[in-house]
Amino acid sequence: MKDEVQRVVISLPATAEYVDIVRLNLYGIASKMGFTYEEIEDMKVAVSEACNNSVLYAYKQGQGVMEVTFEVVAEVLSITVRDNGESFESWGEAGERVTMHDKELDDVQVGGLGFYLMQALMDDVSVVNEAGQGTKVIMTRRLMKTEETV
Amino acid sequence: MNTNKNVKFVATPQLKNGTCTVFLRGEFDLSVAPDFRELIEPFVGDDKVNLVLNLKELTYIDSTGIGILLSILKVRNGMEANFLVQEVPDQIQKLFDMTGIAKFFAAQ
Repeated sequence: MKDEVQRVVISLPATAEYVDIVRLNLYGIASKMGFTYEEIEDMKVAVSEACNNSVLYAYKQGQGVMEVTFEVVAEVLSITVRDNGESFESWGEAGERVTMHDKELDDVQVGGLGFYLMQALMDDVSVVNEAGQGTKVIMTRRLMKTEETV
Repeated sequence: MNTNKNVKFVATPQLKNGTCTVFLRGEFDLSVAPDFRELIEPFVGDDKVNLVLNLKELTYIDSTGIGILLSILKVRNGMEANFLVQEVPDQIQKLFDMTGIAKFFAAQ
């Protein structure tokens, strides 16, 4: 019983106007699980970045769909953002995105921060690109029990 | 959904004694980026004003928003004009620190 997967799936137009709907759903599910305000804020940023990627790069022509799946298993929240568009090739091999910490303002590139933020704000992130089948970003975050919880 | 855009995010510029303070409220994400760029552009290009963003009521920012702030920093830096942020909420400061943009605001 305790390891049963509970799953919420939402399917949305892959447009910028719908990314906040994903954040609202995330807020509802994560707060029900007992994540703190700060943890939820972190996850909001990470999940939005994955959605932004689908919005910006997946569907070059015409409207597409992004599908977000929330899975709750034994105190772990796993979120998958999937699209069926063209893959954004630089994501697959992006590895660790560089931040601006060691750079001068003139040398900093605008962009490329989204992937870094996802990795930094979640426990695990994986990106699966399959030729002709879109991109799938899977992120997980574990619930930390506070010491007071009995 | 276009009608909801302005409810979600509002940017209000206020000019006073050579300083333009733009107050941001709500969620600064990809969907509001084009409108914000358009609003801020004339102030960014004016080297006679001090440009300040007040983030007190900003509840959310994504990498698109941070990217816009970075491009404003680059333009203003090239013009030898300043660009400051004030009243940055903790959660947003955390993202500024993580991405490294914080040091460019601090360096001015």
